[in-house]
Amino acid sequence: MRKNHIKGFALATAAVFGLLACGGSSSSTDTTAAPVTTDAAADYSMLKAAVVYIGVPDDKGWTYQHEQGIVALEAELGIEVKRVENVPEGDEGEAIMEGLAAEGYNLIFATSFGYGAPMARVAAKHPEGCFEWATGAKFLLTKDAGGEYATFGDVPANLGTYFGAAEEARYLSGIAAGAASPTGKLGYVAAFPIPEVIRGINAFTLGAQSVNPDATVQVSWTKTWFGPDTEKESAESLLAAGADVLAMHQDTTATGLAADAKGAKWVGYNSDVAEAAPNAWLTAPTWNWAPYYIQTAKAVAGGTCPTDEYYGSMADGMVTLASFGTSVDADTQALIAEKAAAIIDGSFAPFQGPVTDQDGKEVVAAGAKPELLDLLGMSYFVKGVIGSPKG
Amino acid sequence: MRIPFRVVFEQRGETPRRLSFLVPLASVFAALFFGALFLLATGYSPIGTYTNMFRDGFASFNGITDTLALSTVLICTGISAAFAFQMNLYNIGGEGQLYLGLIGGAWAGIALGDHLPTLIMVPVVLLCGALAGAAWIFVPAFVRSRLGTSEIVSTLLLTYIAASLIKHVIYTPGSFFRNPNTSFPQGRMVADSASLESFGSSRLYPTFFVALIIAGALYWVVKRTEFGYRINVISDSPRAAHYAGINARRTTVWVMLISGALSGLAGAMLIVGPYGKIEPSIITLGYGYAGIVVAALARNNLGLIIVSGILFSGLRVGGNNLQVTTDTPIHIGVMLQGAILLFALGGEAFRRYHIHVVRTHDASSKKAPA
Repeated sequence: MRKNHIKGFALATAAVFGLLACGGSSSSTDTTAAPVTTDAAADYSMLKAAVVYIGVPDDKGWTYQHEQGIVALEAELGIEVKRVENVPEGDEGEAIMEGLAAEGYNLIFATSFGYGAPMARVAAKHPEGCFEWATGAKFLLTKDAGGEYATFGDVPANLGTYFGAAEEARYLSGIAAGAASPTGKLGYVAAFPIPEVIRGINAFTLGAQSVNPDATVQVSWTKTWFGPDTEKESAESLLAAGADVLAMHQDTTATGLAADAKGAKWVGYNSDVAEAAPNAWLTAPTWNWAPYYIQTAKAVAGGTCPTDEYYGSMADGMVTLASFGTSVDADTQALIAEKAAAIIDGSFAPFQGPVTDQDGKEVVAAGAKPELLDLLGMSYFVKGVIGSPKG
Repeated sequence: MRIPFRVVFEQRGETPRRLSFLVPLASVFAALFFGALFLLATGYSPIGTYTNMFRDGFASFNGITDTLALSTVLICTGISAAFAFQMNLYNIGGEGQLYLGLIGGAWAGIALGDHLPTLIMVPVVLLCGALAGAAWIFVPAFVRSRLGTSEIVSTLLLTYIAASLIKHVIYTPGSFFRNPNTSFPQGRMVADSASLESFGSSRLYPTFFVALIIAGALYWVVKRTEFGYRINVISDSPRAAHYAGINARRTTVWVMLISGALSGLAGAMLIVGPYGKIEPSIITLGYGYAGIVVAALARNNLGLIIVSGILFSGLRVGGNNLQVTTDTPIHIGVMLQGAILLFALGGEAFRRYHIHVVRTHDASSKKAPA
């Protein structure tokens, strides 16, 4: 099976000090061992689940995708999940999560990076509950990384994290972009220079270069996740510089609308929103949180809180590719399907070597696949990306 | 058709004392009544909702401590706004000055922390935050006093620049304020000596008492000192102040600098209190803007800021929890906060003017039937 669970200690050591995971404790195995119940008559009456949203469920982006997963969870288990919307990060968010725990909610999902430290504090006060932090990484809660726990072992034991390998779908969307670009000049409207975004840009670039070795990707940083005006300006500046396909790591469709206005093509993100600009639409890397939500809820109902750091993928369905636009021809679709199958069966990985960085230095040797920990802390751009990974 | 009534606004010479308390109180109740209409229209029980809000905001251990914790910041941004507003200087950029307070406080906490004990370090962090906030308003204050440039525009626009600055110091690799141990954008923790402990299991920090002392001290300054007297004269009549030989320019600059310093202090309180580092999510919380509401609710009366700050914080904490304990949407809580501002400003009219309705007796109204 795929190695979805990584032991926290390894992640902490390696990510903090930039080393590879070492020793026997590092090799990843599934330690949750959740007794997943498939019995239709299973009793979920003990389960009180809640989800904390950074935005609103109808944003057609990040929160919308989580909402789809929660709706699926409700349908599968026949339970009702409490939703708390527009929850601020920091103290006020902590008070809200504590309120949930006090009300008896024993499974709480929090869907933003900034909920980590507050959630950990609440988890420590409520050992009876199970707390799940999306996009998080537990080592960030340790003193070395600016958190409040002296060692990794002090992080509350009832806190888990979950995220996924969006880079797999990013790579595939790069193939669609590379094939649709006559000039080989691609643009990327990107939010913040953080590993998650950098990883996506690199995977997209490698995908595009797999069909057009000379393809370049120019990056424009917006320094915002949600800023239609700024995103539009960034998109327009990339188009003015000659890009004929734009990708994005943003929460609005502004990039797509800007591309459409100039007759360029667009690779979206988060949700399948082809209808926003059907002529420009190629495809988009998207999320499917439903399987994780369902399996976690079943585990908690069975008495186990999954507290490993879950890293989903295309293989388990957490990461997917949206529908194709009309500009993606049949040959390209077939090629993407072939690569997707190879990614899923493990015979191919987006960052399979040789990979060289912007300076021409080899960062992944030929034939090798980088460790997950290297992916999670990625801070360099691959060759062909125009711009600085420092923002 | 003519309306046979006329509403007359008659300016009051002096506001009756009872109105000073009645109007803000009535404003809150009017806002609650206004909110009740919406709750009824959308199928929620107003009594149940308000009971819940009160319990979660004031009448539980977590509720009251969270309320006082939030009020620590809002009292500071509230005095910051009120102190300038009372001299008709509209510093609405407290939000940006608060960000600078975070940066200034974090700088002190990181750079000096290892050399000084907590007893000295915490005041130093607070002072640096206040200085940074004052520095951020210096240019608006200077051009306002010399050229009459609108401080409303300049302080507001500087808030956007301050927000960019927060993002810059956190998201730029290698930044002094960023944690050097991880490629994730995290603030760098200040030294242990620059951090206070919260009371017990609560989120309330001793900075709450600093906020109370500051509020009291400024109240005294305005009521009892020569500087306060100058402020009062200038706000009542700039011309009279001029003839009295009061240097309005200098007072303008000082008042604005103090206002900026108070918002900066609010930011630094977050550093020594709950944050311990620069949290970029601060730019989504609007504590500086909330200070304007707190000031309006207290009608810029520095003595009442503590009350309005705690009241408003309680509404926010209680409103936040509405979603948790009931199915009431978050928008109800946000709407109530907006309604309170609206009614507090509207209530000003009743305080400043004697409003009465008089029958119109002019002949034309009788001759022209509908």
